[in-house]
Amino acid sequence: MDILNNILLGFQVALAPMNLFFCFLGVLIGTLVGVLPGLGPVAAMSLLLPSTFHVSPVAAVIMLAGIYYGAMYGGSTTSILVNIPGEAASVVTCLDGYQMARKGRAGPALGMAAFGSFIAGTVSIIGLMFLAPPLAEMALKFGPPEYFSLMLLGLVILTFLAGGSMTKALLMAAFGLFLGLVGMDIMTATPRFTLGFYFLTDGVGLVPVVMGLFGISEVLINVEAGLKQEVFQTKIKNLLPTLKDWKDSIWPILRGSVIGFFLGILPGGGAVISSFVSYAVEKKVSKHPEKFGTGIIEGVAGPESANNAATGGAFIPLFTLGLPSNAVMAMLLGALIIYGMQPGPMLIKQHPDLFWGAVTSMYIGNVMLLVLNLPLIGLWVKILKIPYPVLFPLILLFCLIGVYSLNNNVAEIGLMLVFGGLGYLMKKFDYEAAPLVLALVLGPMMEHALRQSLIMSNGSPAIFFTRPISLVICLGVLTLLVLPLLPWVKKKREVVAEMGEDD
Amino acid sequence: MKNNDQRSSLFWFAVGLAVAAASGKYGLGTPSAPGPGFLPFLTGLVMMGLAALVFFQQAGGRVKNGLTDLWSTKGWTAVVMVMGALVLYTLLLRTLGFLLDTFWLLAFLLRVMEPRSWGKTLIGAALASGGSYIIFQVWLQAQLPAGFLGF
Repeated sequence: MDILNNILLGFQVALAPMNLFFCFLGVLIGTLVGVLPGLGPVAAMSLLLPSTFHVSPVAAVIMLAGIYYGAMYGGSTTSILVNIPGEAASVVTCLDGYQMARKGRAGPALGMAAFGSFIAGTVSIIGLMFLAPPLAEMALKFGPPEYFSLMLLGLVILTFLAGGSMTKALLMAAFGLFLGLVGMDIMTATPRFTLGFYFLTDGVGLVPVVMGLFGISEVLINVEAGLKQEVFQTKIKNLLPTLKDWKDSIWPILRGSVIGFFLGILPGGGAVISSFVSYAVEKKVSKHPEKFGTGIIEGVAGPESANNAATGGAFIPLFTLGLPSNAVMAMLLGALIIYGMQPGPMLIKQHPDLFWGAVTSMYIGNVMLLVLNLPLIGLWVKILKIPYPVLFPLILLFCLIGVYSLNNNVAEIGLMLVFGGLGYLMKKFDYEAAPLVLALVLGPMMEHALRQSLIMSNGSPAIFFTRPISLVICLGVLTLLVLPLLPWVKKKREVVAEMGEDD
Repeated sequence: MKNNDQRSSLFWFAVGLAVAAASGKYGLGTPSAPGPGFLPFLTGLVMMGLAALVFFQQAGGRVKNGLTDLWSTKGWTAVVMVMGALVLYTLLLRTLGFLLDTFWLLAFLLRVMEPRSWGKTLIGAALASGGSYIIFQVWLQAQLPAGFLGF
C-alpha cells in the first residue's frame, strides 16, 4: 500500500502544470541534444543549470532528468539517418539502423527505436520504484569507511569499464580527485592549490570543467576533422512497425530492458556498455546471427531499449547512496547540492515529493517522448541538416553564456577554455574524461569520509578491512584492479577497445 | 622515447610530482589526525606511480608513433584559430561588452571552417549575437557584461 500511496504522491507532483511543463521542456531539449552530434546531455545540463535556479528543485530535477533520457531517444535518430551516433550509447545502433535506412526502412527503424525506448524506459522506472527505497534503507547502515570504500569502488568500476587503458583511466581518476580537493579545506578552512585565484577558493567548478571537457573539446575535434554530415536522402514513411517487426523485436526489447537496467546501476557508462552487451546477446541468441549488421530490426530494438533502461538504473545509486554512477548523474548530484538537498539514503524520506515526483515524471516523460518523437522526426531531420560550420559557433556561444551566467564570472570562462584545451589533448592522447569528472565530484566527499574514518580508527587503515560491508567492497576493488592482469580478461578488454575505435 | 603514451605519461608524472610537493606546505598531519595536505599528497604519489606505470607499460611495446601522427591533417590550424579567438573573446569581454565581443567572435567563427560571403557572415553574426542578447539579457536577465558602450 505504501508504494501505491507514494506513486499517487508522485503523480500528484509530476502532473502539476509547472512540473509538466518542465518535464516537456527537458525531454524536448534532451531529444534535440541527442540529435545533434557533438552536444550531449552533460553539456546541455550544465548549460541549463543556472536557469533552473529560479524554479523549484523538483521542477529542476524533473527537467534535468528529462534531458538525460530524452537524449537517449534522440541519439538513435542520427545513428539511423546519418550513421553518426548522436550519443555514445547509440554507437551500436548505427550498425543495423543505418543499413535499414539504406534499404528504405528508416521509418520502422526509427519507430521501433522509439517504441523500444518507451517500453524499456517504463520497465526501468518500475525497477527504480521498487528497488530504490529498500536500498536506501540498507544504506543507512553505512558509515564513513563504507562510504569511502564504495566511492573507491565506483571509481575503479568506471576505470575498469573504460574503453582503453585502465592505467590511463585510473590516472585520470586520480587527477580528478586532486581537482576535487582544490579550494577551501572542509575541516581547517585552509585554501589549497588556488594559485592565487580567488574564485578557486570555492573549488574547481563542475560546470566549467564539464563544458570544457565535453563541449569545447568535442567542437575542436569536429572542427579539426572538418565534420560534414550527410543525411540519408530517403523519404521516411511507415514509422509504425509491422506485425512482423514487432514479433522480431519484442524479445530483444525485453531482454535489452533487463540488461540495461541492471548494468545501468553499475557505475560507469551504463548506457554505453549495456547497448553493446544487448547487441552481443541478441547476436548470440539469434537464429541468424550472420544477418546482424545487414540491417535487421533486432539490432536496433535491443540496444536502443538497453540504453534507455540504463538511464533508470543509473538513478538508483544517486537517489539511494548519494553517489553518481556517471558524468550525467554527477551533474545531477551537483545540482541537488546547489538546491540545498543532501543526496543519500535520507533523500527519499526527507523529500518524498522530489524522489517520487521525479520518478513518475520519467514515466510521463516517456509518453511525451513517444508522442514527440514519432511525429517530429521530420523536424529532427531538418535540424540535422544544419551544416556544422554554422552549428559549431552557436554551440560555443551557448557554452560561453552558460558558464558565464553561472556566477557572472569571466574567470570561469577561462577555466572552461583551459579544460577545453586539456580535453582536446586528452582525446588526442586517448585519455578518458568520464573518470576525471566522477572523481572531481566525489573528491570532497571521499576526503571527508577518509579523514573521518582515520580519526575513528585512530589512524589505522585497518578500519576499511575489519568492518564487514567495507571489507566486501574493498575485496571488490582489489578484484577489479587485479582482473585486467589476467590474460583472458586482458584480451577481452583489448577486443572491446578495438571495437570502440572502429566505431 | 618511442610513443605518445610515454610522452603524455611524463607530463602527468610532473603534475603528480608538483601536487605531492605542494601538498607539504598545507600540512600533512598524522594518520590519526590527517591535515589539509594529506589526501592531495597521497593523490600526487598515486599519479606519479600510475604515470610511471603507463611509461613502462609502453617501454616494451611495439607501437611507435610521434606527435606528428596525431596532427596529420591540416585541420589543426582551424583548432588553433578557434582556441585563439575564444581566448581573445574572454580577455575582451569586460571591455567590449557581451554584444560587441560576441558579434566579432561569431563573425570570425562562421568563416573558420567554410568561406562564405561577408554579407551572410555579418548578418548571421548579428542575428545570433542580437538574438542571444535578447534571450539571455532581456528575458532571462542574465547580467551579461556591459562594456564601454553600456551593452
